[in-house]
Amino acid sequence: MTKRETLLKKISTYQFAALDTQLYLNTHPNDSAALEKAERYNAMAKPLIEQYEEQYGPLTKNNNEGNRWNWMKGPWPWESEDDC
Amino acid sequence: MFVYEKKLQYPVNIKTPNPKLAKIIITQYGGPDGELGASLRYLSQRFTMPMPELKGTLTDIGTEELNHLEMIGAIVYQLTKNLTEEQIKAAGFEDYFVDHTTGIYPQSAGGAPFTAAYIQSKGDAITDLHENMAAEQKARTTYDNILRFCDDYEVKDAIRFLREREVVHYQRFGENLRLLTDKLDEKNFYAFNPEFDKACFRKKQSK
Repeated sequence: MTKRETLLKKISTYQFAALDTQLYLNTHPNDSAALEKAERYNAMAKPLIEQYEEQYGPLTKNNNEGNRWNWMKGPWPWESEDDC
Repeated sequence: MFVYEKKLQYPVNIKTPNPKLAKIIITQYGGPDGELGASLRYLSQRFTMPMPELKGTLTDIGTEELNHLEMIGAIVYQLTKNLTEEQIKAAGFEDYFVDHTTGIYPQSAGGAPFTAAYIQSKGDAITDLHENMAAEQKARTTYDNILRFCDDYEVKDAIRFLREREVVHYQRFGENLRLLTDKLDEKNFYAFNPEFDKACFRKKQSK
């Protein structure tokens, strides 16, 4: 795995933990411990997303930085570095 | 609405092409128990669902299935990347190749194109939740069957993740069904259609 892929995997791990907990919350809306966990996982992902977007470009379109449009720049999620 | 995140839900990094395996795995893209059907099933059923919990669960699982559709597309793409004509012949991939080259097309392992007949949206929450629980189990069995033919760790790893999600979704749909029946007449859940006969909820609440 490249450095980029390792960072992206870390982000995905926290995001997935949040997503799975949020899915559980739909049927257990009063579980405040789970709610806290979901918030904590998202908070852990946040600085990593910022770091990733600064180094490798936007994960969502609205987070384009600089004066050039970088959204369409590869690799796309199904590709690896050597596809570009 | 939907907003795209430029990443997969779980990474797919397959280094070794295997067109024979791709032809099996494509069934989870557009086959009878595949991710395309799953996302359309849930995202369509949710409009008439009667309770907030059900609308939330169907929206979230339906959206997650779109992530899974993308992962399957990535797996098939990577398994069929940079193929030579010899590799295509040796793997028996000519029948797919002649129609789609290495493009990703929603079809079953047997080559049947995707059809909306794979899904149901019945307008009855009890019926639809049972359909969804069965659908998750059918997808789980399909992933189990796919795993029998995988020896590449990278492929197995991604397929195992997807298989596990079917189990979790089954659990969540089961909870939805319980939450729904808790609100209905416990002597006869089937006296009303909880999506169409809205009175069945009002009656219970006024007791």
